[in-house]
Amino acid sequence: MTGTGSLEEARELLREFPIADGHNDLPWALRQQVRYDLGARDIATDQSAYLHTDLARLGAGGVGAQFWSVYVPSNSAFLPGAVPATLEQIDCVRQLIDRYPARLRSALTAADMEAARTEGRIASLMGAEGGHSIDNSLATLRALYALGVRYMTLTHNDNIAWADSATDEPAVGGLSAFGRAVVGEMNREGMLVDLSHVAATTMRDALDASAAPVIFSHSSSRAVCDHPRNIPDDVLERLPANGGVAMVTFVPKFVLQAAVDWTAAADENMRAHGLHHLDTTPEAMRVHREFEERNPRPVATVATVADHLDHMREVAGVDHLGIGGDYDGTAFTPDGLNDVSGYPNLIAELLDRGWSRTDLAKLTWRNAVRVLGAAEDVARDLKSRTAPSNATLEQLDG
Amino acid sequence: MADLQDELQATAEAGRLDAPAKRKPKPSRRFGAAEPIAPPDGTTEPGTTEPGTADGAKAPEAAPEAAGRLADPEGAEQSDGLEEAHAFLADHPVADGYSGLPWVLRHLPWYELELGESGVDTDVPRMREGHIGALFWSLHLSEPLTGDRAVGASLEQLDLVHKAVEADPEHLRLVRTAGEVTDARNRGRVAILLGPAGAPALGDSLAILRALHALGLKALTLAGVSWASEAGLSRFGEEVVREMNRVGVLADLSGASEQTIRRTLAVSRAPVLCTRSAAHALRPHPANLSDDLLAALGEAHGLCMVPLTSEQTGPSVRDVADHLDHVRSIAGPQSVGLSGTYDSGAAHPEDLIDASCYPHLVAELLHRGWSHDDLALLTWGNVQRVLRSADFTARAARDRREASTARIADLDG
Repeated sequence: MTGTGSLEEARELLREFPIADGHNDLPWALRQQVRYDLGARDIATDQSAYLHTDLARLGAGGVGAQFWSVYVPSNSAFLPGAVPATLEQIDCVRQLIDRYPARLRSALTAADMEAARTEGRIASLMGAEGGHSIDNSLATLRALYALGVRYMTLTHNDNIAWADSATDEPAVGGLSAFGRAVVGEMNREGMLVDLSHVAATTMRDALDASAAPVIFSHSSSRAVCDHPRNIPDDVLERLPANGGVAMVTFVPKFVLQAAVDWTAAADENMRAHGLHHLDTTPEAMRVHREFEERNPRPVATVATVADHLDHMREVAGVDHLGIGGDYDGTAFTPDGLNDVSGYPNLIAELLDRGWSRTDLAKLTWRNAVRVLGAAEDVARDLKSRTAPSNATLEQLDG
Repeated sequence: MADLQDELQATAEAGRLDAPAKRKPKPSRRFGAAEPIAPPDGTTEPGTTEPGTADGAKAPEAAPEAAGRLADPEGAEQSDGLEEAHAFLADHPVADGYSGLPWVLRHLPWYELELGESGVDTDVPRMREGHIGALFWSLHLSEPLTGDRAVGASLEQLDLVHKAVEADPEHLRLVRTAGEVTDARNRGRVAILLGPAGAPALGDSLAILRALHALGLKALTLAGVSWASEAGLSRFGEEVVREMNRVGVLADLSGASEQTIRRTLAVSRAPVLCTRSAAHALRPHPANLSDDLLAALGEAHGLCMVPLTSEQTGPSVRDVADHLDHVRSIAGPQSVGLSGTYDSGAAHPEDLIDASCYPHLVAELLHRGWSHDDLALLTWGNVQRVLRSADFTARAARDRREASTARIADLDG
């Protein structure tokens, strides 16, 4: 366990270079819990009974910038409503920024992020989680950018017509021609290409196609923990040339092998009882509880996450690391990283492991700001040379 | 507050910038292959223009298409009127309430607004010649899309407008407020206002209303949805109007039911628009307003923008002028405006066939004795007043009211 000395130093470090976190699902939690009634989940007050996130805990966690996810589900039952629901998610973030102006600041650029840091406010950015949010329309992609969305994860848990997801059966085999056009248009607008959630084939295709650095908004290392949501080493190795940033995530069932195995066994147990593994009916919950009583859920810790970072630093280099906690997007969190106030524990752990202050500043803040600025530079260049694309799925993928 | 008094003041810059378009030889309606195109080196006008003053060029320019008119003994007088109309419009340009251009552009593989586009009724040369200083670009969808498809298609239309305006920053500027309209005019640009969009674009969500407003939406037509129907505004519909007031989106009531119109006039704290409505008493088209409604609209300081379409106003300039006379007399000179309704698929009166033709209409109104004050309100002042009033209402409401999270299922169950 880390000493109090390290924790003090971590906090001091974060005051200068705060956390720029790649992924937080507060908007979806607000939609699900109170249908965007921000007064009913006033994050200026303690929300620890309901949420991983509130303003006080963001402050305690040393958070200086947050990509708020404007996630909407990608399963087919939800799909027709993906674009409207994404607009509602975007509106939620805008309302949060309006409601708490002393603590949150809208950020659309790297310069805005630095300005927020100077003011002591949390730079609030938006990321869309899945290409289904643009409904195969480059015009809709541009509209999302105009509304402030600064990254788009190419897929969520399900394949889309132009890209394969990590957690679905291979279909396209990476990115289709239209998928490459989407990446090109994102480059042209200055929207970061996010490769969390996508299949490794899609990661490689996107790295080939993208003129700008990419990010992984919340993914860890597949070599440390073999889960498809994590990043293989051959992809991490390409980040120095690309300039991108892999933001390590904390989700136990992605980062801890024992938790991966336990989750697989729990799912198998559900199926053995004739239930779907995501079933939440009372009967299913009883079956799941009995399983958990017989098989205690393995618990990830700060050290688990630090192991990922140690490995990713070796493979990708310290200039290509970041943090994407996935708070309010995951049911379980590691010990010591229970909510958004936990980041100092991770930094203290890394200090104990000998990470330099310079390296930690890159991890927490500088890399994230740099990658957004680089996307802006590429966009400026492309806009001066190219016209916006109106390519369609039908034209390119026939 | 600096923009409170400037709407009637002509700016010398804008007037001068308008001048070249007037000197341009009038094309015979269609920009064909023979249409002179400005040389690529950026010289402003083709050298083929006849020498001499603007005055010298104008008399012949009306000749080809107004032949019938010029043949009558009043010909000379009419052409003088046209000259006066040009002079008046140079000081008081037209703020036009409706253009269907975005939907037409959507279906053109390629277009060239700056130098002239034969595929449409509205391009930069003709807007200059018609003295259009501000123009609402409709986001109406000409396909019956509803629900989620309508939201996506509206986003695509918004993107198309953004692209078209960005492609010609020398002449067009996307604006959101009355102050920005004035600013665009001071810089010699045509101010493009986004809207009206159809009510289905909201997908029954106030959050989407706010998102569309954030993208520049300025007006929304309250018809064709469950909450603004023949039965009038539902409770959710009233909440939509209040939220529109709060963010600064104008209600467009052309095509709305009488119940919706009356309820919106009662609920809205900002003036409303009818972007395409003429006088029902003169021509019983369903989108035209009865004298009762015109009077109510006038009392509410709303704006009836008379469309230049044969179907709603009649086949001649005089017919349009009759409607303007009538609306002015019933609703008042502060409540009448103009709506070209070009590129909407509608047929237009003779001599008002495209966006360049406003001087013909103004000449007719001058001939009928409209005062310059009333004319200035008609062409420009009223739209500025309504925009400014909506902006002011929004600023005031935002301090008093939080963003509404009301849902249609809760209010209309």
